[in-house]
Amino acid sequence: MPWPEKNRYLGKPTPRADAPAKVTGRAKYTADVVKPGMLFGAILRSKWPAAEVRAINLEKALAAPGIKAAITAQPVPFIVNYYGDELAAVAGTSRQAVLDALELIQVDARPRAFVTQELDAIKPDAPRVVPDSPNLGEGKARETGDVDAAFASSAGVIEGLYETQVELHHPLEPQGSAVLWDGDEMTAWSSTQGVHGVRTAFASSLEVPQNKIRVLCEYMGGGFGSKFMPGVQGILCARLAKAAGAPVKLMITRFEQALAVGNRPSSHQKIKLGADATGKLTAIQLESFGTPGHRSGASTGGGSGGAAFPAPYIYQAPATRIKQGSVAINAGQSCAFRAPGHPVASFGIESALDDLAVKLGVDPVAIRILNDPLEIRRREYQVGAERFGWKEKYRQPGSSSGPVKIGVGCAGSAWNSGMVRETQAEVQINSDGTVDVHCGIQDLGTGSRSVVQVVAAEMLGIDLALVTAHVGDTHFPPGPSSGGSRTTSSIAPAVYDACEKALAELKERSGIEDPRGANWKAACEKLAAFPVQGHGRWREGLADGGSKVAQGGVQFAEVEVDTETGFVKVRRVLVVQDCGQVVNSLTCESQINGGVIMGLGYALYEQRMMDRTTGVVLNPNFETYKLPGPADMPEIDILMIDQPERGVIGIGEPCTVPTASAIANAVANAIGVRVASLPITPDKVLAALGKVPGAGRQDTTALEIEQAFARLAAAPATTAREEIHA
Amino acid sequence: MALYASRAKIRIAAIGFPMKSTPPPTGPGSPTGLSTPVSRRAFLRGLSTTALTAATLGAESVAAELAQGNAEQPRGPAALPVVLTINGEKRTFSLEPRVTLLEALRQSAGITSPKEVCERATCGACTVLLDGVPVYACMILAIEAQGRAITTVEGLSREGLTPVQKAMVEHDGLQCGFCSPGFVMSLTALLKSNPHPTEEQVRKACSGHLCRCGSYPHIFAAALAASGGRPVSKINLISHDHALA
Amino acid sequence: MNAFSYVTAQTPESAVQLVRTNGRFLAGGMDLLGEIKEGIAAPATLVNVKSLPGIAAIQASGQVWSVGANVTLTALAAHPEIVRSFPGLAEAAAEVGSPQIRNVATVGGNLAQHSRCWYYRHRDVKCRKKGGTTCLARGGENKYHSLFTGNMCISPCVSNLAVALASLDARIVVQRGAKSETLTIAQLYADAWRSPPAHNSLRADDLILRVELPVVAARRSTYLQLGEKADFDWALVSCAASASVNGTSLSQVRIVLGAVAPTPWQVDAANASLEGKPLTPALADAAADLLLREARPFSTNGYKVPLAKVLVRRALLKLVA
Repeated sequence: MPWPEKNRYLGKPTPRADAPAKVTGRAKYTADVVKPGMLFGAILRSKWPAAEVRAINLEKALAAPGIKAAITAQPVPFIVNYYGDELAAVAGTSRQAVLDALELIQVDARPRAFVTQELDAIKPDAPRVVPDSPNLGEGKARETGDVDAAFASSAGVIEGLYETQVELHHPLEPQGSAVLWDGDEMTAWSSTQGVHGVRTAFASSLEVPQNKIRVLCEYMGGGFGSKFMPGVQGILCARLAKAAGAPVKLMITRFEQALAVGNRPSSHQKIKLGADATGKLTAIQLESFGTPGHRSGASTGGGSGGAAFPAPYIYQAPATRIKQGSVAINAGQSCAFRAPGHPVASFGIESALDDLAVKLGVDPVAIRILNDPLEIRRREYQVGAERFGWKEKYRQPGSSSGPVKIGVGCAGSAWNSGMVRETQAEVQINSDGTVDVHCGIQDLGTGSRSVVQVVAAEMLGIDLALVTAHVGDTHFPPGPSSGGSRTTSSIAPAVYDACEKALAELKERSGIEDPRGANWKAACEKLAAFPVQGHGRWREGLADGGSKVAQGGVQFAEVEVDTETGFVKVRRVLVVQDCGQVVNSLTCESQINGGVIMGLGYALYEQRMMDRTTGVVLNPNFETYKLPGPADMPEIDILMIDQPERGVIGIGEPCTVPTASAIANAVANAIGVRVASLPITPDKVLAALGKVPGAGRQDTTALEIEQAFARLAAAPATTAREEIHA
Repeated sequence: MALYASRAKIRIAAIGFPMKSTPPPTGPGSPTGLSTPVSRRAFLRGLSTTALTAATLGAESVAAELAQGNAEQPRGPAALPVVLTINGEKRTFSLEPRVTLLEALRQSAGITSPKEVCERATCGACTVLLDGVPVYACMILAIEAQGRAITTVEGLSREGLTPVQKAMVEHDGLQCGFCSPGFVMSLTALLKSNPHPTEEQVRKACSGHLCRCGSYPHIFAAALAASGGRPVSKINLISHDHALA
Repeated sequence: MNAFSYVTAQTPESAVQLVRTNGRFLAGGMDLLGEIKEGIAAPATLVNVKSLPGIAAIQASGQVWSVGANVTLTALAAHPEIVRSFPGLAEAAAEVGSPQIRNVATVGGNLAQHSRCWYYRHRDVKCRKKGGTTCLARGGENKYHSLFTGNMCISPCVSNLAVALASLDARIVVQRGAKSETLTIAQLYADAWRSPPAHNSLRADDLILRVELPVVAARRSTYLQLGEKADFDWALVSCAASASVNGTSLSQVRIVLGAVAPTPWQVDAANASLEGKPLTPALADAAADLLLREARPFSTNGYKVPLAKVLVRRALLKLVA
């Protein structure tokens, strides 16, 4: 039985269930958890970018007023590989006492040489980040067709270097946990994207049976990929609580967020494209390297750990040569970040494709429709171009008059959200007609609670207000971590299934043929003290679109660029997003807005800065790590493409993928030259326009880039399996 | 008797001698070391010069004189009594001078709507109203908030939601919600001083806030709706299409 | 934050007495508490100066206006008479930080604020300004740094008000020991030009009391800045200008650049080049070239030169608009 066609709630705008709690302060996040006798925890981090830690003396810290526990992060001696690596942790009765005590810990360390810039780290004489392995890790390579011949016979060829920065997640609620031990049983309140995954990780790290651990996350303040695991901070919190014999809460600070809990890897992408005169791609060559942090490695493994990204992204050619590597530097390690690899891949290929279109004199929308293998996206370009007014707005690059130039650009996203087939849910119907739905998922702000509530109300045919969704507890039926844009496509079918089972039992026990709607109250009354429980599992037919058909989305951007100041203002972004069966259109809009805005930050403002000389992160704050703010908002125009027959699919990640690419293309269209590195800040715009005397890449840097790519070419590589990212 | 009590209260508020009836706060916020001999001696010195006049003057002038006589005595660095008026309720805490208003609210007063996010006056998640004006609680010392009306989201409404809160719910002006109490405070202050703001004025009023989930368009819509205006379609045009099926 | 004691001063004289034992003045605290939180400053005493009498008001009297050091930036930006008579000052105040900052930050604090250089502000970095041996920005990340400097440190003065006040020939009245002294803006920042550790010429126990603004007939003023974000961002470059305007002709012109030097940047020849002439874009550009002639960009802040130039042109044209 598919999703019903006539809906009361499904696909309609529903204010999220927990909004009242969030706007009144009643919502208690991990950061807000207080238990009797709870101590504060904090971490001492390395001030050295690289060092051998020989001894750590905790005595003075332990003797300080109010301090109840102090531990080392690892058994001493150990090596630290980046500024901010964990050394020790302390728990005490007040935060000030703990911060004061951190100052009293004596660390005996021998600093080692370090390197914090990719172009330095890739040199043969660079200090090794990990002593027994080269900084340039093993790469990934793939070649199909006769690439050189294809370029030779192409009507047009472009080659360019496109670069992206290291981006930080910066969820507003920091990473952290509160841990309470009761004998050998442990309860953890964790700000996490996956309560079940965190329990598994706690159990293996602490060597505690899984059934002795309960992980709770009722409310959490954003994650974006950085909160799948308890992290070192979570494990230290649990150890401190054990050592102190008291509950401990350890939330890291904004400063620490910039150092040690993940990021989006950087990229340097040398892309060469060939096409025939119509713009049809004949050859794609892509060489890339970037840094994922202190461990190099090619595998993205769902986004963690490596600097590789999907390549070629979206567009295919008969002849393709790919070589991707990654370079270790002394910096915090990357991890999954909203659409891992995709915004990185998108920026390179979509920029190159526009450069090719300009060279061939082909319209950017037309060249995409010509080359895009996915029908959904091709038609989205058509619908979007019309709505955006592309024909009227698109002009030759740099041709708008005046110092403030207008430009337009577009780009696409590819995603396969899939689902987690093991997802389960439990629906309980009470005799007063109320319903409890329990799911071991968590709501990061994506509106998952409302998804559960809407599906249950729709399927049971009752008022939304009768349904309470309970999430964020490992005592609830297993649900997936919130990642990969698949929470909705996993949980909605499971709740559907649970409702069906519960309804069947309600029908049987009440003797009412259709207990839904008007009969609900009468049917439930018959349950007396024994509620009905329906245990549901994910099932076929409700969310299959994600696995069988790739999701596509396209975005168009219109910008104005002040060519005298270099300032870029995004006027408008049009999103045409493949949404499948929308569950809650209001929270769906919110998530798409959020994806666009995060892409805007990637395009124009955000960049982690590592200092070459000292090895520190120079902008561990919101003052110089710049996030988009209210004044920077463009008009965001969202066109949801409803396709209920595809079932439920995710949109959290695809909607952030093409934003930066579309904006970058619009900037290039406005000013007639490409700013080929993100973020597009005024200094780069002015330099691209030739207005900065002596600017542009200096010869030494250009040479270093060439040498870096030569080393990448010579580095060993495994043959990558063919990946289709369409 | 009543007069005596009221004088006693003012004396305590003005010079910060620990009030016997106020038990030391417990829990994570309770700092170690409650009183210092120095501040106690300073108090007694101050008292000896003012005790007589206190008996003959009105309460207000007593307070003023006590402040005059003792204000230039440095207090701390150990904890001392700090009287805060939070959501209309006067409460006394034992705090070191270095404790921020945000720390006092979250750790001593148990008020958790102001969030600790940047701790550097850059994100707005800790925004509270001080005498009705939005400020960053992370960058104000608790000791400096004495004598001023501190309002947090918890104090906006005794029952139900305020128009701003209602509009935030209806327009989904939030996702993870960690920034929401801060936005609610700034919007509440805005609509009080300017009941019918333009979208531009809403953006300006929100400019001291960050939302990492990217809920700004819906927050603007909520603010305009709460002011009785129509959410402007310029912010967010939403439509559905099935042209591709 | 380190532990400190706290005291409320009742008079300027006692304030400067109280601050002498490793103390710092506390007004709005936006700058100071940030420094203490990073461990850059560790004062033993904070001397609250918000109760000092008579320095929280804006007073117009004849030929000189007085703006008290404790006037908040919100009050300054919204003051109708300031908006009318000294628009450049109101505009500069309105561009500082965010509403929450402007609601507590003061005129005195904005003028006395310390460097925002990311090396200086970093808790684990010892730069030249903090007594280290070298300026790390010189060979490091310097996109937000100075084009001009008279010493090793290249962190710029980022006070919006300083730039605007310099263009208005304002005087700063300072409590220095038992008496008050009057400084020009150039004098207020002269030490920062000369000496790496200095943020300004104020000694630890100098307390800004008020700003005095001379009234000049037919004078107009303006302030412009450009940041990387549309709002709540530091200026990459700022420009304040004032002049007596007669049609399109300017006289007594003052053009000042901010965020390009440790002091608000003025060049007399640039001001003089505009005297009495009808303003044209070309004339404005020529004046900007005079202002920027001595610019010595570092590795990544060269863009500030063309940016400063266009802000000068726009500010001057705005005066005659």
